[in-house]
Amino acid sequence: MDAINGADTAWIMVSAALVMLMTPGLALFYGGMVREKNVLSTIMHSFFILALVSVQWALWGYTLAFGPSQGGIIGGLNWIGLNGVGLEPNTDYAGTIPHQAFMIYQMMFAVITPALISGAFAERKRFKAFVIFSLLWATLVYAPVAHWVWAVGGWIRGLGALDFAGGTVVHITSGVSALVCALVLGKRLGYGKEPMQPHNATLTILGTALLWFGWFGFNAGSALGSGGLAVSAFVTTHLAAAMAALTWMTASWIRHKQPSVLGAAAGAVAGLVGITPAAGFVTPSSALIIGFLAGLGCFIAVEMVVRGRVDDSLDVFGVHGVGGIIGAIATGIFATKTVNPAGADGMLYGNPGLVVTQIIAVVVVALYAAGVTFVLLKIIDATIGIRVTSEEETLGLDASQHGEVAYQS
Amino acid sequence: MDVLIIVSLVLFALLLIAWVAAPTGSVAHAKTEEAPSGAAPASSAQ
Repeated sequence: MDAINGADTAWIMVSAALVMLMTPGLALFYGGMVREKNVLSTIMHSFFILALVSVQWALWGYTLAFGPSQGGIIGGLNWIGLNGVGLEPNTDYAGTIPHQAFMIYQMMFAVITPALISGAFAERKRFKAFVIFSLLWATLVYAPVAHWVWAVGGWIRGLGALDFAGGTVVHITSGVSALVCALVLGKRLGYGKEPMQPHNATLTILGTALLWFGWFGFNAGSALGSGGLAVSAFVTTHLAAAMAALTWMTASWIRHKQPSVLGAAAGAVAGLVGITPAAGFVTPSSALIIGFLAGLGCFIAVEMVVRGRVDDSLDVFGVHGVGGIIGAIATGIFATKTVNPAGADGMLYGNPGLVVTQIIAVVVVALYAAGVTFVLLKIIDATIGIRVTSEEETLGLDASQHGEVAYQS
Repeated sequence: MDVLIIVSLVLFALLLIAWVAAPTGSVAHAKTEEAPSGAAPASSAQ
């Protein structure tokens, strides 16, 4: 059995805390972009999921995602309720840290993924429907896909697809599901007819800063150790975010005649999403190029969604769905074993087959996430109802769903 | 020099050129806090 390494364990615990902070950061990021009457409900989506999915993960989510594989499809129930998940390392995943450290680190990924979706149904989803949807989605979409891509024996992992920190597992699943949510729920009342400006851009910028900060744990922590690979992922993460922020801001400057502050923030997030699957497999110069591609590609995607009159309220599909797809394919192009011998060479290093493998992973995961999300939404709508009444929507979800208001005038 | 480094330099140069060529802020371009009726909803692209 491998010995527990103190430095590795410390880094993973810090990384878990960093990733945890991303969810409240996301709450502020989204909360600033909605109207004043919906800020608390939007923040509550992320904050509540932090608690809900933490409990779900401990009880059955972790074992479904990482338990001994059942035919490559789902984990067995061996670790239900964290039974058998102790302080000795699990050498299948991380041989130098306690198994519980790996589990709690992965928990934070499971938490933030359904929270990302909430940006698509902001300002119009019933809280009760949101709770049921999030619980079912974390169980029926996140856990199986995490198993396919990351677990020992997972069938997509077996194909050789690379996903260092969750471009496919986190961002494509949430981004595609967000698009389905937006289409099924329909537009907000008054969409396209009345202004729906962000009520507090400073909240959004603060949220972006917390996301960027936390993303170092998300990506560099995915090295599952504190050595050179973690440093490499840290560097590529920062460079891609910076390049994408510059690119999106420039694109918005050209398109809308002024350099948008919110655009720079969204660009940084797009770059962080784009580098996520590649962070531990690519060089710093590749990270800059991926950042550029993610910044430009996500900007164009968001423009197209808005032009298509799809009310993906907070641009979840354009940033996380498209950013995740760009990142996954870019991993197939730019990956090199000189950075990570445990990875694979991509197209630029003589292995075009990796691009094909990455595309297969993207298509399968996107179709699965979209299909299950659609079915879940339809079942919830038919049973408990998914959307607030028009009166509740007009009043605002803070007052109608939670009986509170964010600001006392 | 690695071709990827050259590509990175070229992309950054393109951004620099865009910043120099981009319009400077003016009242004419400024958005009012209250968008006109019928305006597109807020988006992070804007």
